[in-house]
Amino acid sequence: MSLFSIALTLFLVANPIGNTPAFVSLVKDFEFERQKKILFREAIFSLLVALFFLFLGQPFLAAIQIQPYAVSLSGGILLFLVALGMIFPPKSSNGEAKKLQEPFIVPIATPLISGGGVFTTVMIYARQEQNYPKMVLAMLLAWVAVTFVVVSAAYLQKILGKRGLLAMEQLMGMMLALLSTEIIMKGAHMLVEAVRHA
Amino acid sequence: MDIFSIALTLFFIMDPLGNMHHFMNHVEGLNPSRQRMVIFRELCLALVAMLFFSFLGEWLINLLSLSMVTVYITSGVILFLTAIKILFSQEERFPAKHGEEPFLVPLAIPIIAGPALLATIMLFSSTEEAVFTMFTAILFAWAITSALLLNSRLVVKVLGPSGLIACERLMGMVLVLISIQRMAAGVLLFINEYK
Repeated sequence: MSLFSIALTLFLVANPIGNTPAFVSLVKDFEFERQKKILFREAIFSLLVALFFLFLGQPFLAAIQIQPYAVSLSGGILLFLVALGMIFPPKSSNGEAKKLQEPFIVPIATPLISGGGVFTTVMIYARQEQNYPKMVLAMLLAWVAVTFVVVSAAYLQKILGKRGLLAMEQLMGMMLALLSTEIIMKGAHMLVEAVRHA
Repeated sequence: MDIFSIALTLFFIMDPLGNMHHFMNHVEGLNPSRQRMVIFRELCLALVAMLFFSFLGEWLINLLSLSMVTVYITSGVILFLTAIKILFSQEERFPAKHGEEPFLVPLAIPIIAGPALLATIMLFSSTEEAVFTMFTAILFAWAITSALLLNSRLVVKVLGPSGLIACERLMGMVLVLISIQRMAAGVLLFINEYK
């Protein structure tokens, strides 16, 4: 496969465009400049996590005996919890100023950007290509685009405004719930396959 | 499973990097030499609890006549909820009482040897035949955990505060993976009983 097509596949699997609403709603309580910083940082973290899986994914998962279906199931379940948080926002204790907690690695960097899909894709291509420099280059290329999309999510909030954001959060929470369930079902399929072959 | 896998899994569940800030908070008021003493004592207490469960695990499972499916799924669920708390909880899970020296609770149990770890040890000790394997794996994981926690000042200096949070988060992810894998293993076992 060519460098470009690997990069494109990775970009599509990381799905930054589809996840934009989730990014926006996770960082909505911060200042605009801060949002951009957080999103940029998370994009870099997601690249680091994906690079870790490129080089050490197989031995790492083998060492703690994790099967591929567990990677999908865990990612899907975590995303489903994020979606539930979007649909049913946690009540802020009234009066008491709640300390803002920045999203740090979880859930934006992983599993939203670098989820089970990215891990599997990276590991499969790494085995197919047997060419680490090419893989790293393809990932860097993909992540230039990913980072761009992720950081520009901060602008979406400005366009939508407060009410628009609240409305979108509900709808997109529903979409994310669907997407995450799809990932869980993929994991479930793999699990059933494992049962058959056992 | 080989010794290395068991030790690594136990190490992840002990989660010294993720729990380091609990340790730092709880011994903060004491003088430095006393701090190390207290941490070491708590680690030893945790080790006693772990070894106790590794010997009694199989006996306990037989006594309550539990099936392996039960043990797999229960320990998976407990571990999953613990991991979710680590990843998403906003409030301090074990707030430190100021000026009070911690004893047994909460540092030894449940922060190091919590229900998730003890259930895991019960599970492994009943699937592994050799007592020696379990014993070595526990000691190995415990030794690394101890080395990290006794030198927490140095670790914090090397990783920096955000590095520590990063480790905590990544460890939380690994715990979610382990817990889901275990629940799935339980489900596979359950299905195989009908084949």
